[in-house]
Amino acid sequence: MTTAWNPRTVVQAIEDAAASTKTGYRFIDESTDGAEGAEPFFSHAGIERASARYGGALQALGAKKGDRVALILPDNADFIFAFLGAIRAGIIPVPIYPPTGLGKLSGYLENTLHIVERSGAKLLVTSGEIKRVLGTIQAQAPELEKVVAVEGIRAAREDLRPAQISLDDTCFLQFTSGSTSRPKGVVLTHGNLAANVQSIMRLGLDVTDGVDSGVSWLPLYHDMGLIGFVIAPLYHLNTITFLPPLLFLKRPARWLQELSRHRGSISFGPNFAYALCVKRIKEHEVEGLDLSGWRIAGCGAEPIRADNLRAFADKFAPVGFNDKAFVCCYGMAENTLAISFSKLGTGVSTDVVDSEALCTQGKAEPAAPELEGATTIVQCGGAFEGHDISVFSPDDAESERPLAERQVGELRLRGPSVTPGYFNDPEITREAFAGGWLRTGDLGYLADGKVFICGRSKEVIIVNGRNYYPQDLEWEAGQVAGVRKGNVIAFGTMKPHNDRERVIIVFETTVAPEDEKQTLKGEVRKAVQQALGLTVDDVLAVPAGVLPKTSSGKLQRAKARELFENGELLGRSSSREADPVSAIKELAKSQFGFLRHAIFGTSRRGE
Amino acid sequence: MTWTRETVRAELLKLFQEHAHAEAEVTDKSQIVADLSIDSLGVMEVIAEIEDRFKLSIPDEALRNVETIGDVNRMIEARLVGEGRLQR
Repeated sequence: MTTAWNPRTVVQAIEDAAASTKTGYRFIDESTDGAEGAEPFFSHAGIERASARYGGALQALGAKKGDRVALILPDNADFIFAFLGAIRAGIIPVPIYPPTGLGKLSGYLENTLHIVERSGAKLLVTSGEIKRVLGTIQAQAPELEKVVAVEGIRAAREDLRPAQISLDDTCFLQFTSGSTSRPKGVVLTHGNLAANVQSIMRLGLDVTDGVDSGVSWLPLYHDMGLIGFVIAPLYHLNTITFLPPLLFLKRPARWLQELSRHRGSISFGPNFAYALCVKRIKEHEVEGLDLSGWRIAGCGAEPIRADNLRAFADKFAPVGFNDKAFVCCYGMAENTLAISFSKLGTGVSTDVVDSEALCTQGKAEPAAPELEGATTIVQCGGAFEGHDISVFSPDDAESERPLAERQVGELRLRGPSVTPGYFNDPEITREAFAGGWLRTGDLGYLADGKVFICGRSKEVIIVNGRNYYPQDLEWEAGQVAGVRKGNVIAFGTMKPHNDRERVIIVFETTVAPEDEKQTLKGEVRKAVQQALGLTVDDVLAVPAGVLPKTSSGKLQRAKARELFENGELLGRSSSREADPVSAIKELAKSQFGFLRHAIFGTSRRGE
Repeated sequence: MTWTRETVRAELLKLFQEHAHAEAEVTDKSQIVADLSIDSLGVMEVIAEIEDRFKLSIPDEALRNVETIGDVNRMIEARLVGEGRLQR
């Protein structure tokens, strides 16, 4: 590093920041309409005091260093002070997203219960209103001693008894990955956070302490909102203006209006957020904006589509938006947050490669953009200092043979931002590492040391920045009478249009009459949509024995997707003959089946 | 502008129809996510349109107990009554 860097714990960062009374957090809600001074503002000095009160209250409730406390707090200010207060007391917060309603409460409760159980949380802090919704959760989680309403904590005046915290201590658990039935809690230490904040703020974004300011509507139970806009700014004294996530989804213009009004220089969003602004912000709402101060427009958390970003830049250029402000980000919770960023001030860079060579040989061969079958892949920058990114064949279990540049394989990571593992889950932790490297599950290649992501080997479906696990969709569909349990496949596809991921469910059934099949399809669609709150684009019913499975009976989702995209799925009558030659061919094909999926779009994934 | 129960209902059905899955049947009993295939992003767009159309503000908490179009209808009516804008 060019200047000496002293890693600090989050606790130390909060205490150091307390010297500043000019910078801090501003909280916007729906009723705030730009009246100066009407918005609640907490300086860094005020944040230190408020978090001490919340931390003291948690200690008074009996929580001790190392205990876990689950936080389900829809109000941004409550969440932040409880979160930081717990950390200062050495209590390990476990953020959980609040219920949004709309009829998927049972699924929500189940998911929440799994996280509470897996984390062994002793205490759950939530709003009085949500506490009523949670109902019997306490009776079902044996280790959970208390469910506490935050309203009582807000009024508490207990003193914080600061805990001795070192860089190796666990700071918090991030439950973002894994299916509902087996949620995975990523352990992040203070050392992980210090290293990643340094990567993001100093090395990636070259932030000026006390000067750069941010605006964020990102949910705080997600790493990009929580680490990027709550924790990192504490280290660098940046003022952050927070909007409620639902306000942004309801009125996307509010995001840009707050950026404009507060002269924010930094803001991030997933690809869909930029697309939503293009789609929903009206001409008269554009007129009053001034986006000339927006220096860094980060994009991550889901595949980046260069077309979407270009449309955003075109729409907002007349009010000062500079397309060089785009920073394309690759990240994941297991690496704290950020893995790599494209170079500051350069905007979106892409690589055009021959998709035939990519699919059949796993080679990213440069191609002319006008060539038929050329595909565009967004560049996400190189590894941060002190960290390594390398590419290995997915079956290289010990990471012994790194692949050459422009060879596609699994991206793997090493360095101080990498999590020590999943909380209380040695088995899954072992599977996540290969010879000391963290397996990202993402497929990509390096060129000139820069990362290009082609897709993912994990079968996650990403819709509007949220990850859905096919197992969860399949389980819900399997509950419907008439569906053959264990014979359901869910997958995402970019076909026929290359604009967003479409969700497809295929199930086997012995029901034959066409009208009964139609009814059954409707029931499956309804069950999945109700439980998971996402839109299912297509439901297909096929006869028993048609879904592709391995010889050991495992569902082959990639294969099913390929058949679907080629229009072959519905024509199949039976398919599970085990021919050894075709089995080997299938294996070779499935490695690149994922790539084929990814290619319909300039796909990459970040978090 | 004042509303009647009939105009509120007709307006809501129209708004939801515009966002629903093409094959979905839009009635009072339709569940917004499960039956109409409107996801959380789509719901917030409809809510914004409802706010504009009825000149109301709908807080996030009010959405937590909403499942069907009928639920939305009752919520809107209650708010209009509160502001004296629903004719009986």
